[in-house]
Order: sequence, then C-alpha cells, then structure tokens
Amino acid sequence: MAQNTKTRSNQNNERIALIQKQRKRTQVQNTMLAASGILGFILIWQIAAVSGLVNSRYIAKPLEIVNLFIVKLTDPNPDGAVLGVNVMSSLAVSLSGFGLAVLIGVPLGLFMGWYRGFDSFMRPIFEIIRPIPPVSWIPLTIVWLGIGLKAKAIIVFFAAFVPCLINSYTGIKQTSEVLINVAKTCGASNFTIFRKVGIPSAMTLTFAGIKVAIGNAWATLVAAEMLAASSGLGYMILMGRQFGRVDLVILGIVVIGAIGLVISKLIDMLENKVLGWKKL
Amino acid sequence: MPMDKKKVKLRLENISQSYVVNNEVRDAVSNVSIDVYDNEFLVILGPGHCGKSVLLNIIGGLEKPVEGNKYIDGVKFTGSDKRIGMVFQRLALMPWKTVMGNVEFGPRLAGVDKATRRKIAQKYIDLVGLKGFEKAYPHQLSGGMKQRVGIARAYANSPEILLMDEPFGQLDAQTRIVMEEEIQRIWQQEKRTIIFVTNNIEEAVYLGDRIILLSKCPARVKQIYEINLPRPRNTMDPEFLRIRREVSENTDLAL
Amino acid sequence: MSRVKTAAMSSSERKAYYLNRLYMILPVISVLLLLLLWTTASLNSDFPSPVETWNRLIELFERPIKNKTIIGHTLASLTRVFLALAFNWTFGIAFGILIGWNKKCRALFTPLFNAFRAVPPLAWIPLITMWFGIGEFPKALTVIIGSIAAVVVNTQAGLSNVQQIYLDVGTMFNANVRQKLFQIAIPSALDAIFAGVRTSTSAAWMVVLAAEMLGAKSGVGFLITRGMDSMDMPLVLMSMAVIGIVGAMLAVVTQFAERLICPWTRKRSN
Ligand SMILES: Nc1ncnc2c1ncn2[C@@H]1O[C@H](COP(=O)(O)OP(=O)(O)O)[C@@H](O)[C@H]1O
Ligand SMILES: [Mg+2]
Repeated sequence: MAQNTKTRSNQNNERIALIQKQRKRTQVQNTMLAASGILGFILIWQIAAVSGLVNSRYIAKPLEIVNLFIVKLTDPNPDGAVLGVNVMSSLAVSLSGFGLAVLIGVPLGLFMGWYRGFDSFMRPIFEIIRPIPPVSWIPLTIVWLGIGLKAKAIIVFFAAFVPCLINSYTGIKQTSEVLINVAKTCGASNFTIFRKVGIPSAMTLTFAGIKVAIGNAWATLVAAEMLAASSGLGYMILMGRQFGRVDLVILGIVVIGAIGLVISKLIDMLENKVLGWKKL
Repeated sequence: MPMDKKKVKLRLENISQSYVVNNEVRDAVSNVSIDVYDNEFLVILGPGHCGKSVLLNIIGGLEKPVEGNKYIDGVKFTGSDKRIGMVFQRLALMPWKTVMGNVEFGPRLAGVDKATRRKIAQKYIDLVGLKGFEKAYPHQLSGGMKQRVGIARAYANSPEILLMDEPFGQLDAQTRIVMEEEIQRIWQQEKRTIIFVTNNIEEAVYLGDRIILLSKCPARVKQIYEINLPRPRNTMDPEFLRIRREVSENTDLAL
Repeated sequence: MSRVKTAAMSSSERKAYYLNRLYMILPVISVLLLLLLWTTASLNSDFPSPVETWNRLIELFERPIKNKTIIGHTLASLTRVFLALAFNWTFGIAFGILIGWNKKCRALFTPLFNAFRAVPPLAWIPLITMWFGIGEFPKALTVIIGSIAAVVVNTQAGLSNVQQIYLDVGTMFNANVRQKLFQIAIPSALDAIFAGVRTSTSAAWMVVLAAEMLGAKSGVGFLITRGMDSMDMPLVLMSMAVIGIVGAMLAVVTQFAERLICPWTRKRSN
C-alpha cells in the first residue's frame, strides 16, 4: 500500500513536470513567433529599401531611422525643434486637452446620469456636439484662438470629452437598484447616495471611458498639429513631407506610435492599481 | 424483471479523472465503474462540485479521462460518439438560431438534406410540446421552454444514449415539477438510454429506474439503489418517502 | 383638462406628473438658450448669426462650389468612406477571424498589429501623400488604415472569446473543425463583429474628413477648409452641421442593419 501511494505521487510529479514543460514550450514558441513577426516586417522593409525595389525618395532603411533618431535628439533641422522639444510640446497639448476633458466630462456625465432634470437640460446640447468629429472644430478654434496651445488643446478636448461623459453617464445609470434601496432605508439623502453608492459603482466604466479618451486625445493631437501648429510631432511629420524627407516622416510615425503604446500601458497599470479590487 | 437479464448498453470501467491546479494534482473522479442498461433511466446523484459534470463530460467525450475505458454494446470507444447526445446544464442553445435552427443543428452538421432534417426536427419539436414556436429565438422563450428545445435538439440527432446534466437545475420549483413529468413522458414515448445527473434527491427518486449515488469530491460510486415504484410516481407515497429518506441519510453533504 | 386629470391624483402622483412635464420642456429651453447665446455672440463680433448660417445653407444648395452642391460633396466623401469600408469589412474581418481562431497566427501578428494600431490614423497621411499623391486612392487608403483596426480588434475578440459550451455542442454533434468555425464560432461572434463594423464606420467618417482637410478638391472636409481659407464662417458652420448629421445618420443606419442581420441581439440592446 505504501509503495502504491509512492508510485502514485511519483506519477503525479511527472505529470506536473510535463505540464510545466509544455507551458514553457508554448510560451517560448509564442515569443519566438511574436519576434519573428516584427523582425520579418523589418526585414521586408530593409529589402525593399536596399534592393531599390522602392525608390529611395519614398523609403528609408530601418537603420537610417535609428540614426536619424539619434541625430534629431540634438539637431533642430529641418522643422525647427529637436525631438525632445517636439515630444514635450505634443504631450503638453494632449495632456491639457485630455485633463480638461476628464475634469469636465466625468462630473458632467455623473450628474447627468443621476439627476434627471439636469440630464434633460444638458442632453440636447451634448447630442448636438457628439456627432461632430473633433477635427472639424479646427477651423473654428483657429479663428477664435489662433494656432497656439489653447486652440489645439480645445480640439483634443472635444475628442476626449465624449467618451468620458458617455461612460460615466452609463456607469452611474447602471448602479444597482438594490444598493440604492439599501442606502435609502439607512436614511441617506439623495446626494449622499450619489456620492457613496453611485460614483463608486460607476468607476469601472468611467475608467474604460478615460482609456478610450486618452487614445482619442493622442490620435486627434496629430491632426491638430498638422492643421494648426508650429511645433510638435504632427508638425514635424508635416514638415518632413514638405521638405521631401521621408526618413523624418517615418521617424515621426514611429515616435508617435511608441508614445501611444507607452501611454496605454501606463493607463492599464493605473487601472489595475485603482480597480484591483474589482478583479477579485 | 431481474436486472442481470438486461442488456448492458454502456459500460464505464475504472474511470478516473484529475486536474493539475496550481502545481497540485486534484482528483475529480476516482475509479468509477458503472453498467448502464439499455433504455434505462439512470440517475446519477451527488452533492454539488463532486465531479458529476466531469463524469458526464467524459462519457460524452468532451474530455479525456486519465484512466479507464468506455464501451458501448461491449465495443470499446474513445472520444465523442454519434450514438451519444447531451442536454447541457447551462442550456447552451445557440442564441443566433431559432428553435427550428437549434433543433435541426445536429442533422445539419451531419449533412442531412434540408427537407429531411426539417421533418426530423419538427417531429421532436412536436414531441417536446413546442409546436408553433419554431421561429422563436431562445431569448423569447421561458426557462422551461428553452430546456425543451435542448431536449429536442439532443433527440433530433437520434442518439442511443442521452446524457442530461442537471437539466432542470436553473428552473423555478413549479416549472421543475412540470419538466420532470415531461421528461418522463418523452422518455416513455421515445425510449432511449438516459443518464440523468442531479443533486436533487426527490428528483432522483421520482425519475430513476436506478440511482447511482456518488460521494463528495473526488466522485466515487457510494451506493446503487433500484427503484421499483410504478410510474408516474407519487411523491407522497410512503414507499417513495421511505426510499427518499434512505438516500438522504446516505448522501454526503456538499461543502 | 389637465386640472381635471391632476385633481384625481394623490400628491406624490401630482408631483411626478409636473416633474415629467418639466423634463419635457427643459430640452426645448436648453436649445433655445443655446440659440440665444449664439445670436448674442454674433451681434458683438463678426461671427455669423444662426440666420446667416441658415441662409448660407440654402445658397449652398443653389450655388455649387467647385461644380458640386453640398449634396455632391457629401456623396464624394461617402463614396470614399464606402470604398474603404468595403475593403475593411472583407479583409479586416477575414484577418480578425484568422488571428482570433488560430493561436499561432495570433502570436505571430498581434505585436506587429498592435504597433501598427498605436499609430494614430492621421499620422499616416503625410507618408501616404508622399507615396501616392493626393488622388482618390491615397484618400481611400488613409480611410482604410484609419478604420481597419476597429474591425480587426472586435472580430478577433469575438472569435477568441467564443464560449466553450457552444463548441462542446459541436463536439457532441461530431462537428469537424471547419464546421465549428463557420457554424459556431463565427455566428456566435457576429455581434462582436458588428460592434467593429459600427465603430469602423464612425472612425472612417472622421478620418475621411481629416484626409480631405489636408488636401482635396471635393468632399465635406474640403468645404470646411474652403470656408476657413475664404473666411466664410457660415460655410464652416454649415459644413460642421452637415458632417454631424451625416455621421449620426451613419450610426443609425449601421444599428438598423445590425438589428436586421442579427435579430437575436435585439433584446440585449434594449
Ligand atoms: N477543467 C478543470 N480544471 C480543473 N478543475 C476542474 C476542471 N473541471 C472540473 N474541475 C473541478 O472538478 C470538481 C468537480 O466539478 P463538476 O464535475 O463540475 O461538479 P458537479 O458535480 O457540480 O457537476 C470541481 O471541484 C471542479 O473545480
Ligand atoms: Mg455540474
């Protein structure tokens, strides 16, 4: 009997080891596949550039981009600013527009979702603004505010505002009826219930809205900077085109994409921290 | 009628299943051997989370046991088999298909032509009492009606063995009683070998020709009861109550 | 009449009745306030008044800009959008199905696709115009790039989240892999795919606008820049209104199409 249990536990250990090995193997395999996807893309790009298949006026080699990145860190030509300045300028615009959108959109959504009178008053105005794409505000803002930070921030604001408002509105509307009734029987006032029950239960959706908002903000920023700016990454790309510098355009695209990725990763991390209790 | 004269339809031999969870091997089913007779209404009764679904999934071929063999009519088989059908615990009706679409799903996958499979499906829709609801979508049906569709769908594939995993577990008490009568009527009208899983003792005694009582996790066969009461059974009958108490006292409590 | 009705009510019912009345009037008040604000603002500056803007619209129908009335420009933009969407709804959905269903393909393409997706669609415009000039093809390409991600992401999510139990039903009925994909996985992902279709439509409408604003001779985006360049503010405002209305109509149309094609999702959306 003792021997029997021993072989049994041996078998079990073997099985666990096998499963762990398999899991590791799939992991390695997936990493390899992911890497080969990216490398394959860069390879095709390199071949297209080196072989002359594509005219060098239209394409730059991957290494040239890396090179330009280093040069551009210190060289303000041809668009008039070094890379760091462009990045900071873009971040300043998108973060101020985004911040404004969160500060106004989220409370507005929460109040509209909770107080029906306020909702029916604000609703038509919001429904008028909502379907108008943010970029189409560009001419108006240029007329009103010129092409400075304020104008661009307003455009970004319009892009980020809508998801903030919609999500916090939907979130607080979905507050569980039971929780509200429990609070009511405890004698809480409507405003207290709004603060203590409504807002917390709207948080998950609100965060999802903020995530969409920051993506929108970053995407719209580029348009704002191409149509109304004298600095920033979007402006740098546009200048690249005007000077026929394809390498500069590609560098701009890569940097914008990379920053976009970093921002969404940061938001994910923040969300996990703030809403960690939800996942349990 | 003595049981040993009956033909064995399905034989399970030393079925065991275990899972690796957090680097530990956890047993779910341990050494279960069962003979299921032809056209028998067999009830498998056990506490929640004891491994009933796992056992049924193994019979249906949805998962592979770590040990043990399965035989139909004395011939060994592995994996899923056309001769076995299943009525699922969580309904599992396709929400994008109508009642007709759901019921004819099996024949359709098997490549049966449209006219024939419509006829088959219609027969079983009528059998479960859903005539007139062919074009309805599952979300338009009540819980009991949905489960009727599930039963019709399983029947339409003309299986010899039907597995039912707590089919009435989600229904309210009233509907449940109706459905228990219904499944009995359907089975008497269209005899199949039914393996019916439940954690409800009264349901088990009401429906089963035999009850296989499982222990708590990992599932082992704890006791087998033969119920020789005439159908339809009266739940107030003293004999019924006696059996029910006997089974109750022997059942492990779920944790 | 209303007094007769309210007389028979209890006090709380009466309160609810008047509140409901108020809720019906408030939207009208807010729109009127907005118009009033707009009019006062236009009195003290060279910003056009609502009346001027309305007149500009009438004029737009009668006097074409670049040989096209406002309807012609709207159709020009819509054509670009639908060319791009037709491409996306075939290839985007196909690609989404591929990486949603096949784990190896997912591992291979996901990082590359995510990198591509991280670049805002409008950032491609300079590169595309460098490559292909400013004809119809580069515009359609911009719109494709700008709206394909939504289709792919949603389709992929729909297919990789197919509930196991539906696949189990397939196994019980001896379905082969192809049947499981086409008869089970794809239909069960249809509502997710449709979410992608809806998002891609509104994204396409936004991107076509930006593409047209950056260089075009027709389309609603062109109208906006034209209005800005000639300091024709009523034209700018009118174009914005048209853009908003068409955008809203597109949303309604796709929603309607979804209800038609996926009637079983009706309950969930209500
Ligand atoms: N795929 C699996 N991986 C790990 N554990 C499982 C798996 N399937 C079932 N189990 C475990 O096996 C036990 C029995 O589950 P189940 O058969 O579903 O219970 P029930 O008798 O209620 O149907 C449960 O404790 C469950 O957690
Ligand atoms: Mg179960």
